[in-house]
Amino acid sequence: MKIVVCIKQVPGSNRVSFDPITHNLVREGMAGRMNPFDENAIEAAVRLREQVGGEVVLLSMGPDATKETLHDGMAMGADSAYLLSSRAFAGSDTLATGYILAQAIRKIGAIDLILFGRQAVDADTGQVGPIVATELDLPQATFAEKIQPLDAQHVVVNRDLGAVTQTVQLTLPAVITVRAEANQPRYESPVAIQQSLTKPLTTWTDQDLTLDASRIGQAGSPTIVRKVYAPEPTTRAAKPLPQDPKEAAKALLDILQAQGLL
Amino acid sequence: MITKDALWIVAEFEGTRIAPVTLQLLTKARAIANGRTVAAVLLETPAQTGEETLAQYGPDEIIVAQDEAFQNASDRTQAEQLTALIKANQPNTILFGATPEGRSLAPRVQDQLETGLTADCLDFYYEQDLLVAVKPSYGDNVMCEIVCPDRRPQMASVRPNTFAAKKATGAARIERVDATAAADSACVMQKTAVKIAATTSLSGARKIIALGRGANKDAVIEGVRKVADKLGASVGVSRPLTDRPDFTAEQQIGQSGVTVSPDLILNLGISGAVQYQVGMSSSKLVISVNRDSKAPIMVQSDYVWTGDAAALVAALQDLL
Ligand SMILES: Cc1cc2nc3c(=O)[nH]c(=O)nc-3n(C[C@H](O)[C@H](O)[C@H](O)COP(=O)(O)OP(=O)(O)OC[C@H]3O[C@@H](n4cnc5c(N)ncnc54)[C@H](O)[C@@H]3O)c2cc1C
Ligand SMILES: Cc1cc2nc3c(=O)[nH]c(=O)nc-3n(C[C@H](O)[C@H](O)[C@H](O)COP(=O)(O)OP(=O)(O)OC[C@H]3O[C@@H](n4cnc5c(N)ncnc54)[C@H](O)[C@@H]3O)c2cc1C
Repeated sequence: MKIVVCIKQVPGSNRVSFDPITHNLVREGMAGRMNPFDENAIEAAVRLREQVGGEVVLLSMGPDATKETLHDGMAMGADSAYLLSSRAFAGSDTLATGYILAQAIRKIGAIDLILFGRQAVDADTGQVGPIVATELDLPQATFAEKIQPLDAQHVVVNRDLGAVTQTVQLTLPAVITVRAEANQPRYESPVAIQQSLTKPLTTWTDQDLTLDASRIGQAGSPTIVRKVYAPEPTTRAAKPLPQDPKEAAKALLDILQAQGLL
Repeated sequence: MITKDALWIVAEFEGTRIAPVTLQLLTKARAIANGRTVAAVLLETPAQTGEETLAQYGPDEIIVAQDEAFQNASDRTQAEQLTALIKANQPNTILFGATPEGRSLAPRVQDQLETGLTADCLDFYYEQDLLVAVKPSYGDNVMCEIVCPDRRPQMASVRPNTFAAKKATGAARIERVDATAAADSACVMQKTAVKIAATTSLSGARKIIALGRGANKDAVIEGVRKVADKLGASVGVSRPLTDRPDFTAEQQIGQSGVTVSPDLILNLGISGAVQYQVGMSSSKLVISVNRDSKAPIMVQSDYVWTGDAAALVAALQDLL
């Protein structure tokens, strides 16, 4: 089974602050790391390869520093990696990102399964997986908590959709997005880290892919993030109840009574 | 005739009923429509219909495609049907519930239409024709405003329980359309089950008593359960309490738990971290108890009591 796992490098920390003068976003812990859900996707892919054979190929679009994250992924057991890096990709929203990844997957070729994390923890959209599936006209199972190979053409996936759970049988090739509950990603052993340095990592620019220029980067991105700000804590009246607990409890029940809540 | 340039809500079933978020979105859409037609669009089967419920929440139109093929339909089948309807009727705006299902369908539709989609919004409004969608990012630590100026339709998914649903009068016009999408042989549903816990859970509760680390004592929790029983309230928790065997993630309020918007929430021993606050900030009446008068939760509350949560719970038990 030839599996592509799409991974995203995200900021090292979600703790962000704002420059009081420029109002720009200041990210603490600037060093990037792998999107945590993508570790679950890699783990799922490596386990499938252990069960049925095949290969696990990583794919990421991002700046040159993303190579580190790709090496981490190879240390987790992936066999090879592709980095898509070009100024022409800058400013891509989910639609442009999904299109570019899909074109790269076409070029890699002969893929049985494409795995994604359920969402990236920075922008938090979870849209890229279904967009890639649609670009390639493939079936999908999002929010997977279990993936079982059935035969050369099929996998069975358990989806947890919050209010309902589903078991679906997908005909390959197919797209799956993976929940954290799916598995416990393995630690990278020193040997595995050593080996990852000799695994093939290929960089492709926009010149290496067949791309419609109107569908990539800013031109291909219909959404604009026009403002980023710290959430206003909603402030309310904070009227104090009487100090004595018995009186406070009585006052509280009176308020509920007055508002028709008893 | 289906009205062009309308504001569409994509209706969703949750188990056997229309998902609460669909009704919440209808109410909110009516409030901001400013003369624009509000339509609900529903894919249903002959065995399970939803237009009766939708009509009670005041859409101008309900667009119904009924077909056996929508029984356990794949994301691809549903997205193809929605895309066909959208291409034929050119709505201005399309909103989905940001449920796992909505978040799986919406980007498939987005890609087929090559337009913009903002994920998991907490608010949205129009500036003339432009939909401004307000969404949290970086684990709810940041808010951003996202717009789609040049392409239509403009699309967003909206977090459940951010707005209250209200029934409305007025007759909805029902437009029945032919289903055109075929069943998907590459994605076959083998089994589906409704999770009981999720449907009896907090998200629809009208009254909630929420417990935090400052109320993490067996005796207090027992007292709270009794008070909750008397008040007809559900019990929720902040994240630290999900480590206890008697609470699960399904009772957790907040960013990585459920969002609630009850008429009343009584917070006991909760500090009010931003990840907690986003899960309950649209509650109508917020009362908080904390022994620290400067805890962030206090300024997020209509009424506050500074003191030991155990003492207040005991006093409430005595009175009820
Ligand atoms: C604050 C903020 C808010 C944003 N909101 C929106 C929005 O509402 N709508 C919108 O269209 N765009 C939005 N964007 C742009 C969006 O972040 C980028 O398009 C990004 O490249 C992909 O989206 P995501 O991070 O949401 O990924 P998700 O769709 O959440 O990622 C899901 C999975 O897709 C894969 N994946 C994602 N990105 C890559 C990549 N670069 N390389 C390889 N695999 C990848 C991973 O497997 C990942 O787990 C926003 C950006 C910012 C900074
Ligand atoms: C990505 C991410 C997602 C998260 N998601 C969530 C989420 O969904 N939900 C969530 O709740 N948290 C979430 N958190 C954790 C969140 O940041 C806080 O750590 C958490 O909400 C704190 O819970 P708490 O208020 O109960 O505890 P604490 O912050 O420890 O507060 C306890 C409070 O109780 C008060 N207190 C102590 N003793 C008493 C007493 N005897 N009587 C009265 N008051 C007393 C204290 O003064 C204090 O204010 C998330 C964090 C991250 C990073």
